[in-house]
Formats: sequence, C-alpha cells, structure tokens
Amino acid sequence: MLATVYLKSLRDQRRALIGWSIGLVLLVLLESVMWPSMRDMPDLTSLLNSYPEPMQKLFDLEDFSSGRGFFNVELFSMVLPLLFIIFAVGRGARLIAGEEEAGTLDVLLVTPVSPARLVVAQAAALATALAGFGAVLWTAGMACSAAFGLGLGAVDLAQATLAMVLLGLEFGWLALAVGAVTGRRAYALAVPAVGAVAAYLLYVAGQLVDGVRSWQPLSPFQQALAGGPLGSGWRPEYLWMPLVAVLVVALAVPLFDRRDIAAAR
Amino acid sequence: MDNVIETSGLVKNYRRRPALRGIDLLVPRGVVCGYLGPNGAGKTTTIRILVGLIRPSAGSAAVFGLDVVRRREEAQRHVGYLPGEFVGYPDLTGGQYLNFLGRLRGGVDAALVRRLAERLDLDLTTRIGALSHGNRQKVGIVQAFMHRPDLLVLDEPTAGLDPLAQREFLALVREARDEGRTVFLSSHVLSEVEAVAERVAILRQGQLLVVESVDKLKARALRRMELTFEAEPPIAHLRTVPGVREAVADGSTVHLVIEGSVADLLEAAAPHRVARVVTHEPDLEEIFVTYYEREA
Repeated sequence: MLATVYLKSLRDQRRALIGWSIGLVLLVLLESVMWPSMRDMPDLTSLLNSYPEPMQKLFDLEDFSSGRGFFNVELFSMVLPLLFIIFAVGRGARLIAGEEEAGTLDVLLVTPVSPARLVVAQAAALATALAGFGAVLWTAGMACSAAFGLGLGAVDLAQATLAMVLLGLEFGWLALAVGAVTGRRAYALAVPAVGAVAAYLLYVAGQLVDGVRSWQPLSPFQQALAGGPLGSGWRPEYLWMPLVAVLVVALAVPLFDRRDIAAAR
Repeated sequence: MDNVIETSGLVKNYRRRPALRGIDLLVPRGVVCGYLGPNGAGKTTTIRILVGLIRPSAGSAAVFGLDVVRRREEAQRHVGYLPGEFVGYPDLTGGQYLNFLGRLRGGVDAALVRRLAERLDLDLTTRIGALSHGNRQKVGIVQAFMHRPDLLVLDEPTAGLDPLAQREFLALVREARDEGRTVFLSSHVLSEVEAVAERVAILRQGQLLVVESVDKLKARALRRMELTFEAEPPIAHLRTVPGVREAVADGSTVHLVIEGSVADLLEAAAPHRVARVVTHEPDLEEIFVTYYEREA
C-alpha cells in the first residue's frame, strides 16, 4: 500500500475524497429531487422570461426547461466548478507546502526521491483523486437522471464532468506548484484562490460586457463552461486547462529543486 | 577520499544574516565526530547543507567526495539523516512509516528494523501521532540507522530520549563506528557527545572555534568546583596549586576554577579535612571561555 510517494499520497487523500464525495452525491441528489416539480411548474417559461436579461444570459436561463439545462444552471455553472476547485486547491496546497510546514519533508527528501520526482508523484496523485471525484459526479448524475427523469446523456455528462475535473486540475496543480516554490501553504491557497476569482470575474464580465468579450476565452471558466458544459460537446478549448496546469508544474520543478527547504518550526 | 565529510569555505547567509562564515571541516572515515555549539551557532545549517536540503551561499561541501549540490542524489544515498526536529506522519504507525521510507530507499532489512526498535524499546504498532516526544525521536533514530548508511548525520539525536534509550543510542553509534561507518552528530552539551565522540568540532556564531580530540579538550577545559572544609579553608595554599585559576572563599566553602586534572588540588586539600566536594562538569560556555582566553 505504501510503496511509493504516489500511493502514500493517494492514501492520505482517501478520507477527504470520501467526505467530499458524500457531499457531492447529496448535492446532486437534492437538485435532482427538485427537478420533477420544477418541470411541472405551469408558467416556468414566462417566469424566467421576466428575469432581467443579464441574468438570463449569465445562467443560460432559456434552456432551463430541460433536465440538461436545469443541471447546467443549478450545478455546472457555479456550484460544481467551485466544489472541484476548492477540493483541488485544498489538497494541492498540502502536498508539498503542507509537508514542509509540518516538517515531514526533511526525511522524505533525503531519500532517493528527488524534488522533481516528488512534485510529479504528488501531481499525479492529485490528478487521480480528481478523476475519482469526477467519477463519483458522473455516477451520481447518471443514477439521479434515471431516477428522476432528467434525461441526461452519458456522453454529455462525461464531457461536463471532464470540464469540472480539468478546471480543478488547473487550480489544484497551481496550488501544488506555488507550494513547491514558496514552501508556504498560505501562498499555495491564496494564489489559486485569487486566480480563480479573477478568472470567474472575467468570465462573468465577458458574458455581460461587450468590451470584455474578446478577453473571455482566456478565462478557464469560459474554457470549461461555454455553451453548457452539458451539451457543448468535446470542445478543444478544454485542452487549455491541462496545458496550463502542466506548464505551471514544469516551471515549479526547477525552482523547487534549487531552493532551500525550511526546517520545521 | 579518506575524508567522509569535507567542507571548504562553507558560507551560508539567510537574507542578510550570516549563519555560517567559512567552515573548513574534515571528518575522516570511521570516526565519531561531535559538532558542538550553543543554539544558533550554525550546527543545523551545516547539517542541512551536508544532507542536501539547503545550498551553501559560498564554498563547497562534499560527502564521500560527492558534491552535495551538484551530485546531491548520489551523496544522499550514503547518508542516514535525523533532523533536529524530527517529524513523522502522525497517522501512520511507526512500522508503516519505516516500511514506507524503506521502500523509497529500495528496501531495507525488516529484521534489522525490528531489532533496532526492540533495542530502543519502541512500539512499532502505535500511530506516530499518539507517541510521546521521546518515542517519536526513536522512530527518527531507527529510520536514520535502518538502511545501514556509510555516514550518519544526526542533529541533536538524544533530545527527548530517556536515559535508557540514550545509552542504547550511544551503543548504536559505537557499533556503527566499529563497523567502519562514520557518525557526525550535533549537540549543545559536551557531556552528551564526549561518551562516544573521539573528535569534537566547536562552532560559535558561524565559525569553527576548534577541532580537537575530546580528551585534549577536556584536559584544557576549565572546571568549577566547590570545596567545603570542616575548619578554616586554606585559601592561600590552594591558590598555589598548579591548575587553579581562581579561588574565592565564602565562609568555610571555597569556589574554585581549575584547568585540567583536579588530582593536585585534591591532594593539597585533603589534609585540611574536606567535608563536601561539588564539581560541575565543564560546559560549553566554559570551554569557549578557555579558548577565548587563550586566543587573547
């Protein structure tokens, strides 16, 4: 079980993963339970049309009358991205900065495990955990869709889930990278948090303000959420998220390799 | 390549503050070397450079001829390291933790791990988080010794150990030396290392004050002593005894500072009926004072 850093890291995450997964399943279930009564509301369309236009645009309210549209608005446009990012950043900040602050990194780095290998192993473990979290989302979504008649397609949901996983990966690996470069968990949490808020603001502003629209594709939220994400298909824009994630980690490795490791306090 | 540790002009600055100001240190193979100095002298900084956790600002350090910066991973393969503040994973048992590190090092002899744990009276089935400070330190000692490294670099290894474990630890150090391995251990108390170290390097404010054999060091050290007499103390007579640097009477008690052996002093004092003798082990500060006086 504890043969490598990768396996040890996965083991360390199992409790968090289980806890977060339970929350995720409950959330999907709760939303799904609401769907039948929502669908059967007589004047839903006219009600939605009375909402201010910016809000309709932002949350794609026109599509609210289908199970897919309902999930896009209720889960995939805000709550799920947030959940995946918070999970990933929280874990990512612990992986190296957390170990360094705790003092366990000292002995670990005076083994044949090099700093570069440590970063790669931890990044892989975080990606695996996120994939597991994604699998839970997909399974819960499919089960609820069948139980409450949301009519979600398996591929559709897989695509949207992938968008969530990649969004989490980008900010999670950023947290890992900042932690590796600075050795401070506070920075490893703060930098991705600020980045995520900025990216979300850019995404929202691009939705509402014409002048900002040309910048919108830079936002990971736009890359992940545009046109859905349920029902948007396999979008090549998804590739930006893992690309940036890999780049950030690749930049962090030589810096981590060369810097002083702080002694435990 | 007779020197296992070799540093030359080793300098380390933390931001502006100098921690090491040019350390030239040689430790030959098969020797136990104590690295002594008050807190903040730069012991831990030297050790962290030697094991490759931090980089020198100037100068160089090599372990078995391998530069600790350029050939870090190779150098680390020879090293068993105990950090000054050893921390294991609190959610793992001692056994799980040692097994994990053993796997990372390419497998260690499980029987040796068990034997080390038994000798130190360490329970490997308890979670590290539930262990006392002393028992955690034992986990740290076992992980440093368990892969039979050629060089042991131990930062304040006896901190928190009970006397029994301390004795067993010193036995481990001696055995390692007898097998031709090299031990470099730091401490801020001389008495802790004098039992095993044949050589001592004393560090003060980032500079090596002296590298000396323990015997020579102790012979030169100033020792404080109090003699209480049954009658009037023969203060004038005591002052003439060779080695006595200072003698102050306080009622029937004389406070003395002696350099080297106390044999002459006791011989001179005995006829005057000594009621009580109190000696203080020379501590580092006093040894430093000895050296300063000599330098001056």
